[in-house]
Amino acid sequence: MRKRGFLTQINPLLKIIVCIASVGLAVVLHDIRAISVLAITLLALLFICVRINLRIFASLAIALVVFMTVSAWLRGFHTSFVSTLRLIAILLPTPLLAGTTSPFHLLKAIQAARLPSFIVLSLMLMWRFLPIIQQEAQRIVEANWLRGVNIANQPQQWFSGLLMPLIFRIVAYADDVTVGLETRGYDPQAGRSNSQPLQWQSKDTIFAISAVAIAAVAGYLEWVV
Amino acid sequence: MVVYVNQLYVSMRSPWRLRDYVFAAFMTIGMVIAVFIVGPFAPPGLQLLFWAPLGGIFLTLGMARLQRRGSVALMILPLAVLLGLISPIITLYLGLTVFITELVMFFLGNYRRKINRLWGNILFFASANLGGILLAAYLIKTSKGEPFVKIVTQPAVLILLTVLAGVAGVVGWWLGELAIKQLQRAGKMDVDI
Repeated sequence: MRKRGFLTQINPLLKIIVCIASVGLAVVLHDIRAISVLAITLLALLFICVRINLRIFASLAIALVVFMTVSAWLRGFHTSFVSTLRLIAILLPTPLLAGTTSPFHLLKAIQAARLPSFIVLSLMLMWRFLPIIQQEAQRIVEANWLRGVNIANQPQQWFSGLLMPLIFRIVAYADDVTVGLETRGYDPQAGRSNSQPLQWQSKDTIFAISAVAIAAVAGYLEWVV
Repeated sequence: MVVYVNQLYVSMRSPWRLRDYVFAAFMTIGMVIAVFIVGPFAPPGLQLLFWAPLGGIFLTLGMARLQRRGSVALMILPLAVLLGLISPIITLYLGLTVFITELVMFFLGNYRRKINRLWGNILFFASANLGGILLAAYLIKTSKGEPFVKIVTQPAVLILLTVLAGVAGVVGWWLGELAIKQLQRAGKMDVDI
């Protein structure tokens, strides 16, 4: 999904700020030209900076076409087109951020954002262990298949067959991680050192100016013209 | 003596210990996994009602283990920050829900007692449902917000959905208490009931 491009080298904290601002802007824009500027820019960045899985892209494109067709039938073409563009502008920034930022850089950005220590620790743990717990859930589902129980078709088995074993695994992981962190002297309240702290580079300035310029063009088309 | 005073100072500085932070984070992971489990089965607009019985299990477990006021905030706020990358409205919505739940629980007491955990669940899911519909109705200006505007203009439907969310929270609490009993029998959870 990730490829070494211009966006990969941008300060991750700046990318997070631009991502949130972009979603906020997409929500308030109503003019078709203004929202087109935003959506086209995001689409261009996606094609340039992220290696796209064609299968996922095709299924998303089909879903958008279906959404546009149904909403055009119900609400007219203009409203449907604006809604589709807005949907693109709201949905694209997060995959763009995820596709151009490694977990290591994302964590550095979260630490640099000076959020409360418990939020930083929780986000680090969630980022690290969510895929592992998901795998555990998948293993439990497969173990049920071997016993002839298809969990998906039997919601009455969810608690005893899936959730209870999963809860036991989650609690075991939580205890293991706590012991691991305590034995290493981890203190969530203490300040953290970083061998490679985030630094502002000229590329970040160019990216920030470009983002502000695009937002200004969209704002001009929305509120002035 | 010096060590004891130091520990006392640390405990006064923050009531939470490392094990609390880690346990809360894992309960949050459990809630996210619950979203993945019910996601394919929940009809659009009713996701919260379908998620509450499973998400409530992890919320109850977290309350039972952490016990102090603020436990819900410890579990939900990191999730709110993370989901803020998708939309700041989600952060606002989850933040409001946590604020309402913890504000009421501040007067009711901590989560040491079963009945308080039940109230915590009801408050969290009922306020999440109510807050979600109201925020969606007033903040989403596209055609996607229209079903929510219709619900807001029909108080009976709004009340019914909120009550249903509370009932779903009760189911989550009941399943959570069953899970706590099983964990206690296995010696995996040391809590007062």
